[in-house]
Amino acid sequence: MHTPTETDRAQYRNVWVIAEHRDGKLKGVTFELLGAARRLADARQSEVWCVLLGSGVRALAGECIARQADVALVMDDPRLAEFVDELHADALTKLIEKHKPEIVVCGATARGRALIPRVAVLTNSGLTADCTGLDIDPETGVLLQTRPAFGGNIIATIKSVSHRPQMATVRPRVMAEPEPQTARKGRVISEPLPTAVQHAARMKVLQAITNTAEGIHLADADFIITGGRGLRGKKGFELLRRFAHLVGGAVGASRAAVDAGWIDYAHQVGQTGQTVQPKVYMACGVSGQIQHLVGMQSSDIIIAVNKDPNAPLMKLADFAVVGDVFEILPAMMDEIRRV
Amino acid sequence: MKIVVCIKQVPATHEVSIDPETKRLKRESVEAEVNPFDLYAIEEGLRLRERFGGEVVALSMGPPQAQWALREALSMGVDRGLLLSDKAFAGSDTWATSYALARAVETVGAVDLVLCGKQAIDGDTAQVGPGIAAHLGWPQATYVSHVQDAGAKHLTVTRMNEDGHDVVQIDLPAVLTVVKDINTPRVPKLRDCRTALRAEVAVLTADAVRAEPARIGLDGSPTRVVKINPPPPRGGKTLVLDGSPAETARRLVHELRMKSLV
Amino acid sequence: MQHHIDKKMFHIEILSPKQKSQKLEEDLASFADKYRRAFDAGHVICIPDNPMGNLAFQGIELIQELGLPVHGDQVSVHINTFHTKRDLDAMLTAACDLGISHMLVISGDGSPRLPKLTGKEVGYDVEAVTSVELLRYIRREYPGKFHIGVAFNPYEPQDHELEKMHRKVDAGAEFITTQPVIESHPAVESLWQFGLPVVIECWMSKKIHLLSECVGYEIPEDTPYDPVSNLQTLMAKYPKCGFYLAILGFKTQFPILKDVWK
Repeated sequence: MHTPTETDRAQYRNVWVIAEHRDGKLKGVTFELLGAARRLADARQSEVWCVLLGSGVRALAGECIARQADVALVMDDPRLAEFVDELHADALTKLIEKHKPEIVVCGATARGRALIPRVAVLTNSGLTADCTGLDIDPETGVLLQTRPAFGGNIIATIKSVSHRPQMATVRPRVMAEPEPQTARKGRVISEPLPTAVQHAARMKVLQAITNTAEGIHLADADFIITGGRGLRGKKGFELLRRFAHLVGGAVGASRAAVDAGWIDYAHQVGQTGQTVQPKVYMACGVSGQIQHLVGMQSSDIIIAVNKDPNAPLMKLADFAVVGDVFEILPAMMDEIRRV
Repeated sequence: MKIVVCIKQVPATHEVSIDPETKRLKRESVEAEVNPFDLYAIEEGLRLRERFGGEVVALSMGPPQAQWALREALSMGVDRGLLLSDKAFAGSDTWATSYALARAVETVGAVDLVLCGKQAIDGDTAQVGPGIAAHLGWPQATYVSHVQDAGAKHLTVTRMNEDGHDVVQIDLPAVLTVVKDINTPRVPKLRDCRTALRAEVAVLTADAVRAEPARIGLDGSPTRVVKINPPPPRGGKTLVLDGSPAETARRLVHELRMKSLV
Repeated sequence: MQHHIDKKMFHIEILSPKQKSQKLEEDLASFADKYRRAFDAGHVICIPDNPMGNLAFQGIELIQELGLPVHGDQVSVHINTFHTKRDLDAMLTAACDLGISHMLVISGDGSPRLPKLTGKEVGYDVEAVTSVELLRYIRREYPGKFHIGVAFNPYEPQDHELEKMHRKVDAGAEFITTQPVIESHPAVESLWQFGLPVVIECWMSKKIHLLSECVGYEIPEDTPYDPVSNLQTLMAKYPKCGFYLAILGFKTQFPILKDVWK
């Protein structure tokens, strides 16, 4: 394998954000990444480019620029309407080969984590998954990527010195979103879907189904209210759903509650479920085994409601409410409605 | 259908910690196990074999003791285990690992389907499955929760994302990474475990899979781990609220309002 | 079951080898040796079912595979709710064939690796299958085949525990086995109301701190504890009960037992 030389590397400039969008709307993670990319690009005295792949995505360019992109790089083609891993990866690879970004970041979402590893192989670049911190090494100018591993038990710092671009997927809800500045100016570069990648797709999306049951999904929620064994049954989760509806949040569950069959696996938070990082994580009747903690311990504010003041989660929480969930939650709902 | 299931031997994570003095990972006493997500891939391979016939090969890259992961797969019922093991692989990151595994899949030959768990619980990268697909030049579907249908040339599967799920049709050969929802892995029987302990696990070297030396091990890995640290401790103290429900509710809702969180 | 007490037969717990064992044959030989010794001494052999959610081999398959002697009186296997319906039925059928007549039915410890019985599978409209439904299921599908015991935890909130015990007894429990008791526990007396034989567990290791999780409070590691003397205390305190012994140091402790219950 050819390892790039100093001269090769010098051709690579700018920080790219691979935008994620659905139903014609940019996802929050894209804005978070644009904010982070701005910081990195400033440190490298280069530009922030936002890459829009999809169908009808030209319309999103202005919003990317308002959120700190200097350039919106658009590949707008009906054949990119659905996420076909291989096709999107090949298209992005061509863009990288042509425009040579120094850094490429993408959300560590289901889609980002499918797309970027494929691109990293095709472009022969180093990739770090699920980063929670990105910085430029002031001495070498290299991207320092920080990420948790071993279920959050360690934090590793990783770099890719000799290969370009340096690529990372970034955990959603870690970086701050920049405010939109509607007066910001930027350029839009449009690229056609390269003929070389217009091969008959070897995968097609037959149906794309959006979950509607819960309104807001765990990964996107600012407020998550989670139930554990202390909820004592399905009925307890009905109370949680009413609470979540009131605060515009999502319902999570501990493994114990999922195992007991009170609620579906899609709600499970923890090592074997989803890792979440909401602004408020409110755990009701969850004792807080380590497997659960690794899935939520990075939340901004943690509230634990438990009859047992010695439950591990009560020790970790910012607010440890000693009491009965079935009394505390209705009282809080009254209080929220009161004002 | 000829299926290769890629599995990884991982330490049981709840036992992993950092030595506060040496700042190194303490792994000596840690028990190893098959990456839990890979068990779903093994089970799905077995079920596809039951439905459509064929062969299931378990493949793992690692040091000689990774043979125990393969023996576990054998005890569950895979037809054979292949251990990709060579000092030359040491230090491989996900790029080099997926390259080596892809070479091994090619060495097995005439493979229709590669199955992986959605990610390993130690690295949590989820990069090796798509990496293998890229190195092989095959299509992929990730976070697969259901295999509806299989024809001779394609599969129909459901893949999950944060917003819901897609039903996709994917041509074979292909790589799938699977999630927990897909099945319930079987618990091996004693008789099968005894047989698996005696079974031959073939060892493949870098040469045997014709892996280019510059693409494996540290040399073939674009990324470097600079340092590892324990996670920063959570700041702030716990405020215990143990008054009446109404009192607690007032206080808590006030705190949340102050931060515009309700 | 009462005759176990009348004939002064101890219930001796023998842990089965773990699935993950890398020295399985050695573990099996040791298991068989303990089993035969306890059996020859006339005791009742009790084999737990994946305690703490750790995968271990099933008592029934061990007996089958190792060709161990079974005398209806002298074997009691534990069965919990973490099985597929298919595995459960296979175990129960094999138990019938082997002539195993006693079992302890418990809810059990789960793990991500273990499947959980569903209400639908066993024909009860419940949110989660517990020992009560499992007991009812076995009574319904295997009538008259087994003497079934249930577990009692003196360290849980007693209103819940006794309410559940009523349901277990209504479902057909024939004897009650407690969690380990140290010297005495007032909750044990509340069991007399059921009029069933009660078997009290005595912790047979000096490492009493290992019981912390079970009793729900931290027992300091250096707490002095003499298992045999505790057993004698329990025998004096509860002369009408049987005794369940979890023996960790089999080699040294087993020979002592022969003179304890005269």
